[in-house]
Amino acid sequence: MTETNSTAQKNIYKPAVMKIAAKRDEAPGVKTLRLEFQNPADQEKFAETYRTGMFGLYGIYGEGESTFCVASPETRNDYVECTFRQSGRVTTALAAAEEGDLITFRGPYGNRFPIEEFHGKNLLFIAGGIALPPTRSVIWSCLDQRDKFGKITIVYGARTVADLVYKQEIDEWAEREDVELVLTVDPGGESPDWKHHVGFVPTILEEAAPAPGNCVAVLCGPPIMIKFTLASLKKLGFEEANVYTTLENRMKCGVGKCGRCNVGSVYVCKEGPVFTAEDVSAMPASDL
Amino acid sequence: MTKILYSDDLTACFSAWRKEGTKVLGPVQQAKTSGFGEVQDAKELDLDLVLTDRTLKELFFPRTEPMLSYSIGKQQIDTSEFLPSEHPCIIFGARPCDAAGMAIDDELFNWDYRDEYWFRRRDRSVIMTIACKESDDFCMCTSLGLAPDSAKGSDILLRPLTSGKGWQVEELTPKGSKALLPIASLLKEGTEEAAPTAEVPVLFDLEACTTWLANPENFESHFWKEISERCIGCGTCTYLCPTCHCFDIQDEGDTYEGIRRKNWDSCSFQLFTMHTSGHNPRNTQSARWRQRIMHKFNYFSDKFSVHSCTGCGRCTRECPVDMGVRETLQAISTLPK
Repeated sequence: MTETNSTAQKNIYKPAVMKIAAKRDEAPGVKTLRLEFQNPADQEKFAETYRTGMFGLYGIYGEGESTFCVASPETRNDYVECTFRQSGRVTTALAAAEEGDLITFRGPYGNRFPIEEFHGKNLLFIAGGIALPPTRSVIWSCLDQRDKFGKITIVYGARTVADLVYKQEIDEWAEREDVELVLTVDPGGESPDWKHHVGFVPTILEEAAPAPGNCVAVLCGPPIMIKFTLASLKKLGFEEANVYTTLENRMKCGVGKCGRCNVGSVYVCKEGPVFTAEDVSAMPASDL
Repeated sequence: MTKILYSDDLTACFSAWRKEGTKVLGPVQQAKTSGFGEVQDAKELDLDLVLTDRTLKELFFPRTEPMLSYSIGKQQIDTSEFLPSEHPCIIFGARPCDAAGMAIDDELFNWDYRDEYWFRRRDRSVIMTIACKESDDFCMCTSLGLAPDSAKGSDILLRPLTSGKGWQVEELTPKGSKALLPIASLLKEGTEEAAPTAEVPVLFDLEACTTWLANPENFESHFWKEISERCIGCGTCTYLCPTCHCFDIQDEGDTYEGIRRKNWDSCSFQLFTMHTSGHNPRNTQSARWRQRIMHKFNYFSDKFSVHSCTGCGRCTRECPVDMGVRETLQAISTLPK
């Protein structure tokens, strides 16, 4: 069957082919792949449609597809980066793949962080552990047009120093005068030469006490961290409508057909993965 | 005067269609169940069935289907697509509830992204529905706002004659009218009356149910645990439902070559929503049954302004532990709002 240009005829389940241009170890079990489209038309379409917050299905034929965010910013859309923890069948195969190998990609799918609406505002990024990748996509999307935003604060925490991802970029942010970086590791996770905070993200956030006025918060992390950090943000005076987060549910199709990613009536693949804390509050908590 | 198709001419119609390259399918007995299969002769049809065991959806969304084949070289991935390119087909003798179900599924498979595997088969098919003269205790189309002679989803509606010797023919879509061209000479003009349709009692107050379901407080109601306590999570209700459409994507083969398939899946199964981390948003059978009911009567309706149920009753009819949409909605309609 030949492919046609008409979108009506396009096979939504057929992935694009991407080459692993670079592979990096981030933390124990966590890797980043930089991917390049093999077909210029796929690259063109990606550049046209990709906005920060969207996700993709990354796959290896014979193993399957796995869903994670596009970790690279919309301002650098000539490649795709993904960061993942090796935990299941597909991520094990992706982790074993080497530079130069070909993998598959479907996407970008889902909604986005409305960063145009953030223009002129202060930005507070809060991430825990392996959830820095979706946050990092927004961080660079904003830093690449730095003059459009006010004060930028990044609060990042992981269980141990070794678990911090994007260490090189963290150093870069630390050196920038236009970024305030607050780093922390859980108690017991510090190394002898650790110079930053020790404590859980919500506690450290409350100590840092960023002002809620004219500020948008982007919060990504494991569910338990989200829960307590939301409480801290509330204490600091942040309104739920100004706090953005992402939801990650199991997906197969990515395009609203296969029926498994919904939380209440909300399809994470189509109406998400980006939601405000206000949106999430309206969802049935026991379905999350 | 209306167009009449006599049963005696049916086999001649099938031949006329086949001569045009059109396949004819209809309700037949297959192994130990009934479903839709290809027929050459009208004698092969089982038109006395109130409803086939299996639904029409299998014709457009098979239990398992190959989507792509792949073969991996060192610097190359070759794939070929198995997009359906089947013959045009006429489905003779569908029931109104099944036909309506296909129109509902169209909404989902066309939701922003068009599923070519579904639509290539849908677009080539003509559904000739026979209105129901009889029903059984499980039929509940009228509870869902449909009727034994609903036209929704059909291209042609046939109303059985009182004499039992044929059907009045009602053309509903251009696709239906076109399908009648090759058999034009076999259609007679007549005044013979159609038999009365089956009387299907209304079993629950749908509006009361949807109001109850729409109340967020009831999401946590103990009712869900009670009503689903005996569910064994077998998935039969979802597989036999004309509007259940959930699926899985699996690769068959190895990392050198193989086939990527789309397979039926079910919200009844624990693994359906299980995250790699072990977290499962719908970790209990009651949460999964609640999902099925909420999806049909709240979530789907929210998105597409139609409930994802046509009242065919198969979920209750075939359930090994006697539960289904009917029991659940009957129970809900008696609960305080």
